[in-house]
Amino acid sequence: MKEISTNALMGRNSFAKRITLPSIIILLVTVVGPLGFLLYASFFDWSLTVPAPPRFAWFYNFILVFKDTRFWNAFKNTSVLMIAGIIAQSILGLIIAFLLNRQFRFKKLAITILALPIMVTPVVLGFNWRIIFHEHYGPLNYIIRLLGGAGSSWIADPKLALFSIFLVDTWQWTPFVTLILLAGLQSIPHQVYEATDVDGATGWQTFWRITLPLLRPMFVLVILFRIIWIFKIFDPVYILTGGGPGITTETLSLYTYISWVKYWKVGYTSALALVQLVIMNIIAMVFVRKVMQRRRA
Amino acid sequence: MGMNDKKLKEFRQREKRKKLNNLFQNLLLTFFVLLFGFPIYWIFIGAFKEKGEFFSYPPIFWVSHFKFDNFIRALSMGGSKGTVDSLIVACIGTVLVVILALFAGYGLGRFKFGGPNLSFFVLSLLFAPPIIAVLPLFFIFKYLRIVDTYLALIWSYLLINLPFAIWLIKGFIEDLPEEIESAALVDGHSRFGAFRKVTFPLIIPGVVVSALFVFVFAWNEFLFALMFTRSNVRTLPVVLSELIGGHGIQWGELSALSLIAIIPGVILVVFFQKYLVRGLTFGAIKG
Repeated sequence: MKEISTNALMGRNSFAKRITLPSIIILLVTVVGPLGFLLYASFFDWSLTVPAPPRFAWFYNFILVFKDTRFWNAFKNTSVLMIAGIIAQSILGLIIAFLLNRQFRFKKLAITILALPIMVTPVVLGFNWRIIFHEHYGPLNYIIRLLGGAGSSWIADPKLALFSIFLVDTWQWTPFVTLILLAGLQSIPHQVYEATDVDGATGWQTFWRITLPLLRPMFVLVILFRIIWIFKIFDPVYILTGGGPGITTETLSLYTYISWVKYWKVGYTSALALVQLVIMNIIAMVFVRKVMQRRRA
Repeated sequence: MGMNDKKLKEFRQREKRKKLNNLFQNLLLTFFVLLFGFPIYWIFIGAFKEKGEFFSYPPIFWVSHFKFDNFIRALSMGGSKGTVDSLIVACIGTVLVVILALFAGYGLGRFKFGGPNLSFFVLSLLFAPPIIAVLPLFFIFKYLRIVDTYLALIWSYLLINLPFAIWLIKGFIEDLPEEIESAALVDGHSRFGAFRKVTFPLIIPGVVVSALFVFVFAWNEFLFALMFTRSNVRTLPVVLSELIGGHGIQWGELSALSLIAIIPGVILVVFFQKYLVRGLTFGAIKG
């Protein structure tokens, strides 16, 4: 055995370096370039609509970001979508996961159909929901009128636009939450439930005292991934409302896009991007501490 | 005897309740499946509707004719260019990403190369919103004069997909104990030989799954394609978005093109369901 270990140790480090470095260097180059540009540009009063050359401005752009009501509006919209999404999708996802966690025919088919929304091209999703939300010809208003309602203009109504985005987001991501929670439910051993049966616990007691606490790590995952995805959300909002009416559905990603593509503010957009990067990095650290370390242990 | 009768009655009642409960749960699940499946069905049925059938009230929920006119028209309206360009970008990008990620994932997973800091760097890239890369990449691509080329898209997708694939493959490598390579090392194989002969065959499923995810991500991607292409390169999502925003709503053609666009994603869900959660949670949950 000794022979192997020395043999293995000898080449180990240099081999690890040789096999890993090329890819890591390529990754670093693709990351460091853009990141360096952002850091540089964020310190300049720099706009493409102004003929003046970029002027060094210290932290001016960052101060602008935090004073910008439109930034806070986007932050608020993103937070609303995030929190409402987490609550609604966790409850719905838990119900569906419980329904799926039984033995029945067509189980695989049911899971497949439910999982489809996750992988639908986001642009297609935006287009498709535009038809569904359509005031006159959309199936949603038709069903609401069948049930005695009046129907709404959904994405065109400033009061309902953000709610409509929430509906689409919930349609797409509840299945993802369901799959995570289903994986959690399936990992609870049968013996746990048999023991509670013997103890004479009611269904609700079992649910609150046993199932829910055992699902806690899964809920942590759900929350973290919902945060990540909602910070990234762009395509469906762009297609469905473009941030409108007004700025009622503008999310952080969309506002960053607009401040660049519509106003050509290089310095300001860079600062805006860096602020988001810092927020996401803090969340990544939490994630690593909570989830990845538990997995390694 | 009386005791037994009572027990039997109780038993029957409990069975009846169980059956009723089960029926209720099945009905509820059917409702949810229909609810979540409906928008996908609406794309499908829309692809076969004639123009007038979109603008009728009540809406038409079923068509009896399955003609492919919408598909033919959609492909001639930029759909074929979009499909081909999406295929080119996604295929080249996937091959590139998977090769790079295989080696990096192996080094990170097997040898803990770079320690926790390098791993964290890769992971944090997965969390960053793509929008923040748009502005700097635009300046870089403009400087290199590669805006509106396949290279620009393949390059920018590297930024999203390479960290993802490295992380996923790293997880698959970590599932295998290092000892399995020892035997090959004893037999006189080189380190690379041990990787190629022992480890690689065992992680082929992981590589295939990573490749599929990377392909679908590149195929579905819209933001970078919108920002870095003009007329030379036009991927499917860009073509779709232009048709959506264009004058005169062509819902039939759009639905047909949408149906083509969702094929890779549907394949991933239908045939690789087992790995879906693992991929989407960046390996945090192993299915």
